[in-house]
Amino acid sequence: MARGVLKLPEDLPVSVPRFVGKEVTRLEDPGLVTGTAEFIDNLSLAGMLHCAILRSPHPHARILRIDTSAAEAMDGVAAVLTGEDLRRWCNPAVTAPEGWGSYSMAVDKVRFVGEPVAAVAACNRYLAEDALEQIRVEYEPLPCVPDAHAATTPGASLVFEEKGSNVIQSRVYDWGEVDRMFAEADHVVSNTFRWNRVGANPTETFGCICQWDLTGNALTCHGSYQVPRFMALGRSATLRLPANRIRIIAQPMGGGFGGKGGPRGTDIAALLSRKAEGRPVKYIEDRIEYLLAGGGQSWDRHYEAALAVRADGTITGLKVKLLDDQGAGAEGYGTISAAKPLAAFTGCYRIEAARYDLTLVATNRAPTYPFRGYGPPPHYFVLESLVDMAARKLGMDPAELRRRNYIRPEQFPYVVPSGNEYDSGQYEVVLDKALALADYAKLRAEQARARAAGRLIGIGVVSTVEPGVFDWNCYATVGVPGVGVPEGVKVAVDILGNVTVAVGFNLQGQGQFTVAAQVAADYLGVDMHAVRVATAASDVALPHFGQGGSRLGVSVTGAVLGACRKLEVLFCRVVAHLMQTTPEQVELMDGRLRLKANPAVGMTLAEVAGTMLARSDLLPPDVEPCPEANYVWTAPGRTAPDEQGRCKSYLTAANATHLVMVEVDRETGQTSILGYWIVDDCGTRLNPATVDGQIEGGVAQGVGAALFEEYVYGESAQPLVTTFVDYLIPTIGEVPSSRKAVVVTPSPVSPLGAKGTGEGAIHTTPAAIMCAINDALSPLGIEVRETPASPRRLWQLLQQVA
Amino acid sequence: MKPAPFAYHAPETLPEAITLLQRFESDGVDAKILAGGQSLMPMLAMRVARPEVLVDLRRLRSLDYIRAEGGTLTIGAMTPKRAAEQSALVRETQPLFHAATELVGHVGVRNRGTVGGSFAHADPASEYPAVALVLDMELKAVGPAGERTIPAADFFVTYMTTSLEATEVLTEVRLPAWTRGTGWAIQEMARRQGDLALAGVAATLRLVRGACTGVRLAAFGVNATAVRLRAAEELLEGQRPEAANFARAAAAGAGNLEEPMSCVHASSEYRRQLVEVLAKRCLAEAASRAV
Amino acid sequence: MTDKQRVCVTVNGRRYERWVEPRLTLVDFLRHELHLGGTHVGCEHGICGLCTVLIDGRSGRSCLTLAVQVDGAEVTTIESLRDPSTGALHPIQQAFVDAHGLQCGFCTPGFIMTTVELLRENPDPSDEEIKRALDGNLCRCTGYQSILASVRLAARRLREGREA
Ligand SMILES: Cc1cc2nc3c(=O)[nH]c(=O)nc-3n(C[C@H](O)[C@H](O)[C@H](O)COP(=O)(O)OP(=O)(O)OC[C@H]3O[C@@H](n4cnc5c(N)ncnc54)[C@H](O)[C@@H]3O)c2cc1C
Ligand code: FES
Ligand code: FES
Repeated sequence: MARGVLKLPEDLPVSVPRFVGKEVTRLEDPGLVTGTAEFIDNLSLAGMLHCAILRSPHPHARILRIDTSAAEAMDGVAAVLTGEDLRRWCNPAVTAPEGWGSYSMAVDKVRFVGEPVAAVAACNRYLAEDALEQIRVEYEPLPCVPDAHAATTPGASLVFEEKGSNVIQSRVYDWGEVDRMFAEADHVVSNTFRWNRVGANPTETFGCICQWDLTGNALTCHGSYQVPRFMALGRSATLRLPANRIRIIAQPMGGGFGGKGGPRGTDIAALLSRKAEGRPVKYIEDRIEYLLAGGGQSWDRHYEAALAVRADGTITGLKVKLLDDQGAGAEGYGTISAAKPLAAFTGCYRIEAARYDLTLVATNRAPTYPFRGYGPPPHYFVLESLVDMAARKLGMDPAELRRRNYIRPEQFPYVVPSGNEYDSGQYEVVLDKALALADYAKLRAEQARARAAGRLIGIGVVSTVEPGVFDWNCYATVGVPGVGVPEGVKVAVDILGNVTVAVGFNLQGQGQFTVAAQVAADYLGVDMHAVRVATAASDVALPHFGQGGSRLGVSVTGAVLGACRKLEVLFCRVVAHLMQTTPEQVELMDGRLRLKANPAVGMTLAEVAGTMLARSDLLPPDVEPCPEANYVWTAPGRTAPDEQGRCKSYLTAANATHLVMVEVDRETGQTSILGYWIVDDCGTRLNPATVDGQIEGGVAQGVGAALFEEYVYGESAQPLVTTFVDYLIPTIGEVPSSRKAVVVTPSPVSPLGAKGTGEGAIHTTPAAIMCAINDALSPLGIEVRETPASPRRLWQLLQQVA
Repeated sequence: MKPAPFAYHAPETLPEAITLLQRFESDGVDAKILAGGQSLMPMLAMRVARPEVLVDLRRLRSLDYIRAEGGTLTIGAMTPKRAAEQSALVRETQPLFHAATELVGHVGVRNRGTVGGSFAHADPASEYPAVALVLDMELKAVGPAGERTIPAADFFVTYMTTSLEATEVLTEVRLPAWTRGTGWAIQEMARRQGDLALAGVAATLRLVRGACTGVRLAAFGVNATAVRLRAAEELLEGQRPEAANFARAAAAGAGNLEEPMSCVHASSEYRRQLVEVLAKRCLAEAASRAV
Repeated sequence: MTDKQRVCVTVNGRRYERWVEPRLTLVDFLRHELHLGGTHVGCEHGICGLCTVLIDGRSGRSCLTLAVQVDGAEVTTIESLRDPSTGALHPIQQAFVDAHGLQCGFCTPGFIMTTVELLRENPDPSDEEIKRALDGNLCRCTGYQSILASVRLAARRLREGREA
């Protein structure tokens, strides 16, 4: 008979798990290394047209006139779309909070450079771009809101006039006796910080093929969709179609990291298809479009923050005031990334009280979208920088100050002031392992020698908590209510014993198909490569979410386990019926349903499935001929937030310490990374190689954010970084090779003890590098509090003491 | 991001190419030469360059060579940079040019991009024009009126502009014989490995009886063309190869620069600073190589 | 005249003849005319290296090359690497699988084609040499450590295979 919740890999019904926890090669790889995976631009439908989009050159302007006649007259052009069509057929994007969304193509006015103004469907992309040049648009420029500070200046121009203000949300979260903590503190460390815009920039931009069924009034969209079901819901709202008439088919994706975008592109391609008598329309965003106006801009933040510290180093309070430039509206749900730190506001520390004073404003910069980590990377940059500043003030070693304040193992489950409950952890063990791995004492000695020789060498030791398994609950505070994020799978066994797992998402790089196959294979006792994982279209798939918020590895594990458990129960009943015994006498072990009393007697999966599908005469009367099971997993025990946003939100809390040594060139301001060490604890590692990959990839993006990447805007909100020449994704030459070690504290609350682990490194790396740079600069009495610490920026700072 | 339409010709011979260019010129047709495409193609894709015609030199195999002519090293304009990089002749006889070549972009860019293309393109951030100034290279061009040889100092006019006529083809770059014992260096600051430099410096010098002589120093990435740092050269001439002298020379060289350009990655002042630092470091490195 | 031009090109050992607009890039030609979709596009302006193919045996960016420029040339793409009769992966492909040198895999064909050239010219590259050879290829997922390991593994296996 079936077992209960599987807490650890050892609980699986196999003698020894063969795949879970092993460094298995991935199912998805053969198709990827041969170039045969069907990314969206590899797909082509009969009669397909190609879309190109004309974009606004102005940050804020009224559209006076659009003349599309010359474009429409061109040979090969099938349809031209303008804001007038959207006014007629569509609604503006649904946002949280409500009412901060634009139409997918500008109606009446443009709000940022790159906003779609018109679009063409033509027989190829070259021609479509030629046609764009024939469209005449007359603009009347409006005064613009170039940045967050300007947004709140009295008399500022309004990005959304009907709102009467540029403030999307302004609120203060108060957790505990913050004022008392600060009043009683021996030291208060406070400072301002600036995190400049960065973004996901997956190597594949967004793409889709949309086809409007004019007779059935339905829409089918193939595309690089990260969250298919949400895409369907959003399109239903903007395109005024019932959600069940929108079919979203997710293709494998060339990365996503939250910033894949897609709503506007999908709407535009869909409407062009509608105008072009239902021919399919392909839209492949190009890199410049992505950089200007895709899903690729995140976190444009101005911080004022303070830490209350006792003389003995105990940190008692944290205040963070954030002014967040969301750009032209909230269509990308950038608001959620401002609220995400609620899940781990005080990091690894036993800080009793905290305050988060949040102001989200609209400007004439591009709308912001999610990016891996959502909100914590900038938040931890602030928190960890403050901890380092406190250590300097107290004359304490930064690693020791952290140690003193860690939540201790016996305190778990631990509720942080902002409300979330951390499941487990051993922060000190992780720290000590990192210090040993890097030989911290030796590094400090090396640093002292180098300093004596006038070199600027610094060490950063930073620890963070990664809230894993995203859940909406605390986002009710920014207008996205809900508890639970369903992830559904179907596990099916065919007449020959082949196993298929149907999921609602497609590949994006994190290897979840492999995870699903590992778990199913070990549960059902079959070979992993005999398991096929397939994506169901959004209209028929079970409720699902997909990648996001370090959740899918854990969620899909929970879902596959759940479905396998249901199959096990069903199969036990069938076998018991056939063997004229009770289900309690039958068990699943190593891929056979066998008699507990006499394990030599049993049936294989194929035999049971075959019987079910082909011998209804032998089945128990109430059993359907269906050797399949659905299971929709959601994190257990989640709660709705109170008025201060406090709730049990993210299920797991992974932890890592990163240690990095840098050298700053005093004359050029250039930072070199001399060494990088990581110790990470994400509970059970379902596939250790995949976990390492997540960490290494996160480090690279963190290096980018700390040292290279930045969307620069001019004084009038003109984007100055619009190509890969200027948006500096680190190459193999810039990303350090890290040395790594592991601590495993299985989660007591998640399936198999795994914790979400997609984002920890990007939470930690920017903070670690910034802290290391400031450690290097500390003898000079200067510090950098703005990202990225580019050579120009550091040199300017060094000038102050030259 | 797709190029606007253009017509395309790939002449078989140099005279044919020149005849074509001449015809387009007289018909008022905007024609552009295509070599490796590594600079031109992005401009076409972004539609910032919109020639009506491309004249592709790829069939002019006769312009793909590396030869020693007496002491002079000559490289055909259509020689891939990668060929120069992998040529023992270049490495052994022209170490500075070789080192500069290695700094250009990435393998694939050097495979496709030609030596001549970099000179004709005259990107101020390119290593080659600075090296050309330091080494007194010459550029050979062929046009309707025949062949002419242009000293590097007269070749680079301003930002992405050379003294080539629209009807002329750059056919060869010429490196004068390397004086044995010359110390050399090239250093640059690029944001990422293989990126075009924010600023860079190339240098040569000799040491005669313990003093620097024949000092040549040029900066790239800072002004509209690569520039000689003459103030630095003059200051160091006859001086001992010592850190303080290098620093003084570098400061003078950087200080005398025309207002450097400014971009999102480097302000004008920062570029000036980079030139000073890189010049100082280059001089020390060059001196360490001089015998 | 922006009329179509004839291109005769050998791709992966097969001869193709097509009439194309002069402005058609090689990568669009490969992907959309010849339906060889393994060569990917990440920027179309020469920075990301995703579109890397071999042209007459040498790596190059197919977004910075026109289809008309490869008239008479031999082009090699990722589709050529797998053994056509057995379907077995090329040792470099297998090394990327075994050493987890990919996540989303969108950049992978470009990395692999660059690696083909590297290991042909330098069968035993140092880490520095690998980094220098691959610095024109961006990957947003892996952080490159596993790519470095994949290339090392491929180099070792190819050397051993050659000796064997
Ligand atoms: C990612 C990347 C990185 C790069 N990094 C660097 C770098 O670090 N340093 C650097 O110097 N360059 C760099 N480049 C530019 C590269 O070196 C180009 O190869 C070079 O600038 C142009 O050579 P080409 O043969 O490709 O010329 P094309 O792009 O074909 O032509 C460039 C220009 O020169 C003209 N032209 C070309 N040949 C001739 C000729 N024989 N006669 C007359 N006119 C001619 C063309 O009409 C055109 O205007 C980089 C390029 C890329 C894509
Ligand atoms: S697509 Fe060719 S280099 Fe990016
Ligand atoms: S594996 Fe995704 S970009 Fe390299």
